[in-house]
Amino acid sequence: MHHITQHLHSNGHRERQSNSSLGDRQDKKRSIFHHESKEEKELREADNAQRETDKQFITQWEDETKVLSPDDIVRDPDQKQVGHSTHLRLQDFELIKTLGTGTFARVWLARLLSKQGDSNKVYALKILRKVDVIKLKQVEHVRNERKVLAAVAGHPFITTMVASFQDNDTLYMLLDYCPGGEVFSYLRRARRFNEATSQFYAAEIALILEFLHEKEGVAYRDLKPENILIDAEGHLKLVDFGFAKKVHNHETYTLCGTPEYLAPEVIRNTGHGTAVDWWAFGILIYEFLVGQPPFWDQNPMKIYEQIVDGNVRYPSAMSPDARDLIGKLCAVDTSKRLGNMNGGAQAVKDHPWFRNIDWDELYYRKRPGPIVPHLRGPADTRNFDEYDPEPEGREPYTDELKNKWDKSFADF
Amino acid sequence: MSLPPDYANELSTLNREILKHKPADVLQFCANHFLRRLESQRAEYLLAQQHSTANGKGMAESSFPGSNPFKSSSSPGLPADQQARGMHSLEEEDENDQVASPTASSFPRNIMGATNNNTNSHADSFKAGSSPPAAASAGTGAMDSQSFPSNYNMNRRTSVSAESLNPQSSVNDNWTPPFHKKTADQQQRLRAAVSGNFLFAHLDDEQSTAVLGALQEKPIPAKDIKIITQGDVGDYFYVVEGGTFDIYVSASGKLEAGPDGLGKKVNTVSSGGSFGELALMYNAPRAATVVSTGPSTLWALDRVTFRRILMDTAFQRRRMYESFLEEVPLLQSLTPYERSKIADALETVKFPPGSHIIREGEVGESFFLLESGDAEVYKRGVEKAVKMYKKGDYFGELALLNDAPRAASVVSKTDVKVAKLGKDGFQRLLGPVEGIMRRIDYEADGAVDPLAT
Ligand SMILES: Nc1ncnc2c1ncn2[C@@H]1O[C@H](COP(=O)(O)OP(=O)(O)OP(=O)(O)O)[C@@H](O)[C@H]1O
Repeated sequence: MHHITQHLHSNGHRERQSNSSLGDRQDKKRSIFHHESKEEKELREADNAQRETDKQFITQWEDETKVLSPDDIVRDPDQKQVGHSTHLRLQDFELIKTLGTGTFARVWLARLLSKQGDSNKVYALKILRKVDVIKLKQVEHVRNERKVLAAVAGHPFITTMVASFQDNDTLYMLLDYCPGGEVFSYLRRARRFNEATSQFYAAEIALILEFLHEKEGVAYRDLKPENILIDAEGHLKLVDFGFAKKVHNHETYTLCGTPEYLAPEVIRNTGHGTAVDWWAFGILIYEFLVGQPPFWDQNPMKIYEQIVDGNVRYPSAMSPDARDLIGKLCAVDTSKRLGNMNGGAQAVKDHPWFRNIDWDELYYRKRPGPIVPHLRGPADTRNFDEYDPEPEGREPYTDELKNKWDKSFADF
Repeated sequence: MSLPPDYANELSTLNREILKHKPADVLQFCANHFLRRLESQRAEYLLAQQHSTANGKGMAESSFPGSNPFKSSSSPGLPADQQARGMHSLEEEDENDQVASPTASSFPRNIMGATNNNTNSHADSFKAGSSPPAAASAGTGAMDSQSFPSNYNMNRRTSVSAESLNPQSSVNDNWTPPFHKKTADQQQRLRAAVSGNFLFAHLDDEQSTAVLGALQEKPIPAKDIKIITQGDVGDYFYVVEGGTFDIYVSASGKLEAGPDGLGKKVNTVSSGGSFGELALMYNAPRAATVVSTGPSTLWALDRVTFRRILMDTAFQRRRMYESFLEEVPLLQSLTPYERSKIADALETVKFPPGSHIIREGEVGESFFLLESGDAEVYKRGVEKAVKMYKKGDYFGELALLNDAPRAASVVSKTDVKVAKLGKDGFQRLLGPVEGIMRRIDYEADGAVDPLAT
């Protein structure tokens, strides 16, 4: 359990308290109503002090962020300001509205409550019930998600996990709020993106994949427009690292992803690695330009059959460069797949379809994106759909489950 | 009095921009900034408006943020600027997008009407033994936008995942797939039954033997037994050995209570048919209910067994390739990562006894690892074999390095299985071999490779 000891900030020095004895989570879970010993009281007070520091810290962080170079992001995750386990609690936030739901997570727009009165700070708070995570056999995936998000915090096009915390039966990941909503919604509304818009978005994704693969050894494994959000300046933010995994040099076998975006080697279970993201990248560009992915059928088995065959059909109006790129990305043979071959991501970036992209300018967010959401304030949620309220009557997180599983969640 | 929140927000956005760009000409910068904001607000407004008109009619074409890449073919009569402003009517767009699908059977038209049900597109599927397999979409290369199906499911798509599979642990477990003995007849029937299924079509002999062995007989004692139930998650794939089964689909997406709860009977499967294959991928809800019509017999295979067989064989083969590659002096300087990439590009090739794997005098393109069997090396003018290769040996690696003709022939003595690495595959993955060679001082060693001498 780490707490950040010291931070140097551009605007001066600020100290964050650190107390390793507080790293122990037990004190957090203890009821404050039972008769407490002197030590317990001290612990509780120290916990509260830490909690206040944590609150203050997350209030300030955004104003201090600037784009880090890929090497700076990788350098020392423990020294990073963000992405740590904290003493925050759910009570420190007002849940305003559901932004999205997944198979077992619900993401809320949440306002930080502070003593100084109404704080204008809003975040996206991803809430996962431990019991659901266990029942849906997603413990490994959730641990991977937390770990990868902490490691990549600071990348300009990946949602920043500001902090994480947990209580008795729930895990929380506090994320920066992306007010633009999902690229998916814009794409479905517009039906398709024009070439310039597609190139811009695809280029930002290429930078994300380059970073994840080549700096972090991480395969993302669930690329699709639903997982790409638009931030206040119109740039992309990749969310949902539920399937992201540090694969390093070794292939991995668990099937995961989204049917239309699965790579052939995932379907055939011959072992897969970061190359699956380049396949999905080809599908994504196709969907941007055409409005639907290349392989589709009402019957999912027929989708998989088409994927394994790998025959992409292009509309006649698609530009030759776009076709060439998609064809090279959606190569069934991974030894022929662009991005996975000699040269890595650079070979993708050098493709003629990207010839108008200034990669450095793009990475440092020098220009706003093609769609800049118009917002009525930092907590505007007009770009998000309405979701049903959370169903009642959840299964309890029993002591038995807790004893068996709580140590798996120790990172939160 | 406080400032309107919209205004405060605009200003703070501007402040951020100013801090970031530190413009020399502040006034010009601000003017540009607000112009851009205004443009984007208008564009967004247009977009939202179209969205609301499109309500219930599918998705509207819009010029913002993208314009139609098929402009030339989709709205030929419209002036470009009108298209660019996204003002043309929805009817036109629909008309142009509503075009016949080349494979009508695989793009049913009713999807848009039923999109609220997510299980719809992710549910399990069925293949009746009697019916011919539905035509898979065929064709390569260019196709006209006219032939695009317009009924794509436009909803958000949910992720899927299967049980986590970890090869390391299975090595420790010493897991072996379950084996259920079958007669030669049964084997042949099973082979035929699954041959049309692409999940089985790609299996090699070893995998296919293991998978067929793992199928377990399931006697069904009577009629009216529900083998699988629509809406339930599925773990098993079934092949019909004997008897017939009726397939019902309920419009609600799951089996309902009451006498009509099964829904409509859509098909019947009989001997040689199979159903539930999506369960071999992940646990999706079943798309139909299958009921026995009398005493009958099924073969069942569960997902974890199936995927684990595939994983174990793939895993072992990869490790075998990697350790082969480690032995090759020419490739000594490769990192483990590079070796595992190369292992990915190896291709298994089989030779019956007496075949030439390499022919003396021909220019070599590939390098070979002997996976199983024996092979002999012959040189012109020498009657007897000059060398013998067995499992674990490799030959022909100099082909990776140069275009010199092969210095000897390699002929299979028994049935031989080799893993073949082409020069082009090697270069695609790792770049020119010369670059890699430069890392070490590789001296071609005649003792290692008689083909070199
Ligand atoms: N930082 C954020 N800002 C705004 N909205 C967000 C943010 N993170 C997530 N969301 C919204 O919540 C939705 C669900 O989040 P996420 O995909 O992380 O959950 P999940 O349960 O892992 O999803 P899935 O089951 O699809 O994998 C997103 O698609 C998005 O609409």
